[in-house]
Amino acid sequence: MADWRAPLMSAVCYLDPKAALTWLERAFGFEISMLIEDDAGNVAHSEMRFGNAVVMIGNEWTADHKSPRSIGGKNTQTVHIQITTDVDAHCERARAAGAEILAEPETQFYGDRTYRCRDPEGHMWTVAQTVEAVTREQAETTSGLKITGWM
Amino acid sequence: MTSKVYVALRVKATPERAFAVFVDEIGAWWRPSPLFETTPRPGRLSFEFGAGPPGEGGRLIETRAGGKVFEIGKVMAWEPPDRLVFSWRQANFPLDLHTEVEVGFQAVGEETRVSVEHRGFDRVPAGAVRHGFPDPVLMMRLADFWRGQIDAIGQALG
Repeated sequence: MADWRAPLMSAVCYLDPKAALTWLERAFGFEISMLIEDDAGNVAHSEMRFGNAVVMIGNEWTADHKSPRSIGGKNTQTVHIQITTDVDAHCERARAAGAEILAEPETQFYGDRTYRCRDPEGHMWTVAQTVEAVTREQAETTSGLKITGWM
Repeated sequence: MTSKVYVALRVKATPERAFAVFVDEIGAWWRPSPLFETTPRPGRLSFEFGAGPPGEGGRLIETRAGGKVFEIGKVMAWEPPDRLVFSWRQANFPLDLHTEVEVGFQAVGEETRVSVEHRGFDRVPAGAVRHGFPDPVLMMRLADFWRGQIDAIGQALG
């Protein structure tokens, strides 16, 4: 079978991965594409699909894999969701599902409208929609940053 | 409790059409796998129904080149176009071991999310059927197997 998955995938750890699967579908519209449970009902492996991307949802499967809830809410990496549809509506859907909105939708100097939220176990997610065409020169002028590489 | 392997993919068709192609054209789209062989030499799969309702007496069979018929399983639930459940027993299973496959068809916009949940495969005993795989590897391979089958339905639907 042709593997449709983008070659870079995040694997996110939860204390309760089953609850996370349900929540991520409700909040972000991710769809479970694979779920493997052992005979005790524990999640052995799972994947959720969003477009042609996959995020893996797992438990704390070694002593060094932790949910933010187990380590004082700290995140060492976050997952970014890039959408082409209404980011404000996306934010409202996440809020309705119980996401804590850390930064309300706001249009950034680089032309994306973004928001940031925290899920029930403390993972932070950023979401963006490109809403304005901005050139590298414009972005450098408004931000004062030197920018290398520009889409 | 029983182990579960669940996979789902979208196909470009209505649930009605996806359900019909799943059942009526399984002989055409099915991809035999040496890892999950139902019989030693692959034959042609089909659903066979008697005079009664499909949910009573329907079965999934494999007709081999010489005409011999092997029963893979019996239809246990028949709810077109939403859901279909059948039992699953490979020829290399112990006689009394039956696992269960539930196929779902859920409309999502103009597409259909086809899901397969295969329950109880961890009960397959050690030996040739497992190809030496421990549970986690066996379950991953089973998930890949079913993902391939849904992919094949998607291609059959065009």
